[in-house]
Amino acid sequence: MAEFDLTTRMGQYLDRHLVFPLLEFLSVKELYDEKEMLKGKLDLLSNTNMVDFAMDVHKNLYPDQDVPNSLKGKRQDVVAQLKSLQAETELITKIFEDPEVVRQMQSSRDGRQLYEFLNKEHGFEASMVDTLYTYAKFQYECGNYSGAAEYLYFVRVLLPSTDSHFLDAMWGKLASEILMQNWETALDDLQKLKDIIDSNPFGSALQNLQQRTWLIHWSLFVFFNHPKGRDLIIDMFIYQPLYLNAIQTTCSHILRYLTTAVITNKSRRRTVMKDLVKVIQQESYKYKDPITEFVECLYVNFDFDGAQQKLRECEEVLVNDFFLVACLDDFIENARLLIFETFCRIHECISINMLAEKLNMTEEDAERWIVNLIRNARLDAKIDSKLGHVVMGAQAVSPYQQVIEKTKGLAFRSQMLAMNIEKKLGIKTGDLPQWGQE
Amino acid sequence: FTKMKAAKEESRPSKKVTYDDDDDDDDDIDWEMSSDSSSSESDGGEGPGTTVYTAAMFLKKQPGEEKKEKKEKKEKRVKKKREEDEGGEWEEVTKGAPMIKEAPKMFAKDTEVNHEAVIKKLNEIISARGKKGTDRNEQIALLKELQSISNANNLGPAISMKIMFHIISAIYDYNPNIATCMRSEMWEKCLAGVSELLDMVEANPDINIGENILEESENVTTPPYRVRGCVLTIVERMDEEFTKMLQACDAHSTEYVDRLKDEKEVCVILDRLQTYLVPRGTTEEICRVYLRRIEHMYYKFDPEAYDNPKLENKSFKDMEEMCKFIYAKDLTDRLRTRSMLCQIYHQALHDRWYQARDLMLMSHLQDTIQHSDVPTQILYNRTMVQLGLCAFRKGNIRDAHNALVDIQSGGRAKELLAQGLLLQRQHERTPEQEKIEKRRLLPYHMHINLELLECVYLVSAMLIEVPYMAAHEMDARRRMISKNFHHVMRMSERQALTGPPESMREHVVAASKAMKTGNWKECKNYIINEKMNAKVWELFYKSETVQEMVTSKIQEESLRTYLFTYSSVYDSLSLETLAEMFEIDQGVVHSIISKMIINEELMASLDEPTHTVVMHRTEPTRLQSLALQLSEKVSSLVDNNERIMELKQGNLFFQKSGGMQDRQDRFQGNYQQNRNQNWQDRRNQRQNYSQRERAY
Repeated sequence: MAEFDLTTRMGQYLDRHLVFPLLEFLSVKELYDEKEMLKGKLDLLSNTNMVDFAMDVHKNLYPDQDVPNSLKGKRQDVVAQLKSLQAETELITKIFEDPEVVRQMQSSRDGRQLYEFLNKEHGFEASMVDTLYTYAKFQYECGNYSGAAEYLYFVRVLLPSTDSHFLDAMWGKLASEILMQNWETALDDLQKLKDIIDSNPFGSALQNLQQRTWLIHWSLFVFFNHPKGRDLIIDMFIYQPLYLNAIQTTCSHILRYLTTAVITNKSRRRTVMKDLVKVIQQESYKYKDPITEFVECLYVNFDFDGAQQKLRECEEVLVNDFFLVACLDDFIENARLLIFETFCRIHECISINMLAEKLNMTEEDAERWIVNLIRNARLDAKIDSKLGHVVMGAQAVSPYQQVIEKTKGLAFRSQMLAMNIEKKLGIKTGDLPQWGQE
Repeated sequence: FTKMKAAKEESRPSKKVTYDDDDDDDDDIDWEMSSDSSSSESDGGEGPGTTVYTAAMFLKKQPGEEKKEKKEKKEKRVKKKREEDEGGEWEEVTKGAPMIKEAPKMFAKDTEVNHEAVIKKLNEIISARGKKGTDRNEQIALLKELQSISNANNLGPAISMKIMFHIISAIYDYNPNIATCMRSEMWEKCLAGVSELLDMVEANPDINIGENILEESENVTTPPYRVRGCVLTIVERMDEEFTKMLQACDAHSTEYVDRLKDEKEVCVILDRLQTYLVPRGTTEEICRVYLRRIEHMYYKFDPEAYDNPKLENKSFKDMEEMCKFIYAKDLTDRLRTRSMLCQIYHQALHDRWYQARDLMLMSHLQDTIQHSDVPTQILYNRTMVQLGLCAFRKGNIRDAHNALVDIQSGGRAKELLAQGLLLQRQHERTPEQEKIEKRRLLPYHMHINLELLECVYLVSAMLIEVPYMAAHEMDARRRMISKNFHHVMRMSERQALTGPPESMREHVVAASKAMKTGNWKECKNYIINEKMNAKVWELFYKSETVQEMVTSKIQEESLRTYLFTYSSVYDSLSLETLAEMFEIDQGVVHSIISKMIINEELMASLDEPTHTVVMHRTEPTRLQSLALQLSEKVSSLVDNNERIMELKQGNLFFQKSGGMQDRQDRFQGNYQQNRNQNWQDRRNQRQNYSQRERAY
């Protein structure tokens, strides 16, 4: 199943710290060699300040070796640096601990105003923001995400949006929130970051594209964990052309997540599916996996056996995907429903045993499943149990209905038109003498 | 709407051409100015090839001009006179001296041949350039002689290079008329000259050559040398002359083939120029030389690259690198556009459909192409055609149709692709215009086969249009997908007697008729047979795969047509029978029918246990269908009214406009809607290749 693993492709668009959860997940699934995983982790850690973690990993990797001196030295460095930074920021943190300041912070929305207040009351200076930023960054490197998020919040409030660190602070905040799994706040931050990126602060199209690609990848964490995420992912990835464009140009593998989100989204599936199929078809030469192929089989080729085959593969893929593992059952259920729905639209008489085979169920289960569907009034059909058939209800639209459909809104629309014209005529007769004089 | 791209620009000569024309005029002025003072100067010496030409010029300007013949002498003659007199003596040469005259001598016997002397002499020779009486042939000879003197006296490479620059420009000067090409001897000389120049340039990498080095700051005596001149411009000019040479040849003569053999030499020269320029040229220069190379590469088909798409082919790699460089570095936009089109063409030629399509779509060229110059538009048209052919080979019939429809719909493909002039019905071209257009024509070896183009277009139109017509037979609002196809069909219907098909077009017409009745075998036999193979299909590389593709498409579309046409006489149809009838796999039949049912094209459903299609009797009665049509018409009427209202919004002259205006608007609104819708649809599919859609 390693061939459908996207971690390497995703990793290049994620922050170091965000890759850890993915790697942890993979080592649990044992897709790859344990040793290699650990080595990879160690490499990842080499540029962070999480020395203790690195030491642990090192011990796991080479149980018979001592921890190298370089790591020990680094640990001392880090601690020293932390101390000095703490000393520097002590003053600032004190200010922020003042209950008066906290109240002011929460009440005032404007960064400038707050800054002036702090400046007046506590002698807060512009350079202190930078110190705070460095400290927050350091905290983040050490893996203390809650601290980082807290300080970055202040930095973001106090920095003007033109500052070079502003965007970095935003990214840092988002990463910290994701790593702390505060999905509400993360979603908030994500939205803010998106607004900033969409306001195009860089000017160059390439940079915009890069930023968007990063945002798309980071947002997966939020979208697949937040309860409303699966709606939002559709809005953002399909109906915002800029993001769809970014997906198509730089990271077509995101289609897997998009497709899953669409399939598991009951309410909007119907409308979105058409657009999604178009995108999948366009990109099929660049990217395909069982999930997109499932959609292709079902909606392009109407190959139900193929879809069935793919559905089985999908299961494997989903189990091994960090983001999607949670919605496995949801996906399977919905995918089945999709197959059945499409099947019903085409057929008027289906034998149950064939259906059971297509849906990957036993015959009895299938029958029960269909009965449930019929009972919930989601399907207009009858079961002929003697022959073992499901017979669909007739669905032909009568011409009368068609005519009624077509002419429904006409009267209203014509009335609106007539009213508009009358209004206009009224104005015009008033105006007439005026321009007659000209 | 029928305004065509090229048609628009016909009247507008390209910038370059205007410039050249000016040059020409200047020449003429020079001629006239010098005519009084230079009656003593010798002229003539024209080779037999150009005599006619120059004579014509003379007749136009100074009808009475006398021509003198003079033979040049190659060997160096040293005279006792000083150099200053040299020029004088040369001018004194008696007029009318008919036969062998002594060629002008270079240096007096006793003069020391040094740098100053040579440069002085050089200036003297080139100051005669462009004057009326100057013998251009002799000038070249003189310069050559001077070069050999300087070489003999070991005056260093720089001076020799300087003279070489002048020799080549003298060769270019030889033919005063921009519209005609040089003689083949001259061309050979030119080719040799340029490669000699490159030899020199390569042998002496320390010489600083630049366009911007002033005459005064040149240094040819001692290192570091500085020489004024630009190798790039010279090579570019050579390339242009080469194109002109090919344009002038008859494409089917051996002469053309002989000339075409020089293509290799030209490419080698460009290669060498590139290796020379890349380390030292400015990015702009590098872009220019890259584009030259690309333009010599893009239309060449490499079967090796085609067969192994994975293989990193050299031409592909080069092309990619150069194009990327141009995309990143170019500032002029024109070079970028051209190189992009070339790359798309190249990829399409080698069946890399997705890459070509994506590049085309990403470039957004179809939105802006009408603002660019004519040669680029021609290149765009060529690229679109190639893209269409590629889509066809890949089985993407709709894409192929969309890409080709613009070129093919006006029946002026030949002109739009700059492969020949069409006779114009409405208005005659002025000779001036004709000259300009002729200059734009592409050399024959770059042509795209027009019959192939038309056939591919018609077959794709047939595959789309026939089932569509069958499905919408009753529909009042059906639109024509391909006007051209309908036109061809109508033409054949008008014929009183239709014999067996002869031409390609007749074959397609016959095939379409067969397809209408769902007779796929006959249809296939009309499209793929020996005649058509020889005419069209064998022009494709690996034509068997294309034929197979066409066959399977015909089977599928015939099946669809059959179902549309005859569904009303069936109550149920077995899938097996259908599969047998059309010789398609049953799974494919199932998939096709499913698609039709889902899209609500076919009112039927499948009965799974018996593997049959059951038709739903929903054919409306006459009254019902009329009612449906009426409702449709009423709703479109309301639509139109609303649109008119929108248009009128803010229009002060609302009252003034009478019924006439109204009707016109409605018509336009309707039209616009259709257009827009069409446009929108295609855009949605990311397939909108047509840039003329909106320029109705």
